[in-house]
Amino acid sequence: MNNRLKVLRAERDWSQQDLADRLGVSRQSVNAIEKGRYDPSLPLAFTIADVFGLPIEAIFLRDGDSE
Amino acid sequence: MARNPATIRYNRRMAAIMAVYIAGIMLASLVIDRAAPLGPITIGLTLLPGLAIVAAIGAIGRFLTELADEYLRMLEVRKVIIATGVTLAITSVWGLLELYSASLPRLPVFYVFPIWCGGLFVGQIVNRFWLGDDDDVGGCA
Repeated sequence: MNNRLKVLRAERDWSQQDLADRLGVSRQSVNAIEKGRYDPSLPLAFTIADVFGLPIEAIFLRDGDSE
Repeated sequence: MARNPATIRYNRRMAAIMAVYIAGIMLASLVIDRAAPLGPITIGLTLLPGLAIVAAIGAIGRFLTELADEYLRMLEVRKVIIATGVTLAITSVWGLLELYSASLPRLPVFYVFPIWCGGLFVGQIVNRFWLGDDDDVGGCA
């Protein structure tokens, strides 16, 4: 699954640690999600959406969908 | 690397358990006459490190449930799965060799848990180098 986490984070000038603190997860988690190595659970995906103030589908994209 | 609270608790518990285990092994080695018939003293002294091993297994399970971060928990669970696979592979293949070769040294069952712990280390290497985790949680193994 692709995602726009890195772009959205850069727009807000947040570091990975900043985002991790807002989400209540480790920086490693944010890094793994950004790099597409780990797909978050639905509850964490909703939390990410809440933090960015966007719907989930504006952050996470199906494989093959372009950013 | 900043350690999360679950890892700190796990390390503290495991240090205490390993202290009991080492003390138990040393005591058993000093007191038990291995040529003597099985008796209550032998069973009692052997149970001390044995229960420490059981506690270690429990501590690993508790660590997995206390780890709140789902990604780090996934990494630890993957290590446990790899360790289990490594242990099953080594003991099964060695067991078959033992079955059909009388000259092969017997592998004492005692070594199953140390092999599994070695498997955790293999799992850590897999997490770090093969599957791309560059910052292990540093929990079990």
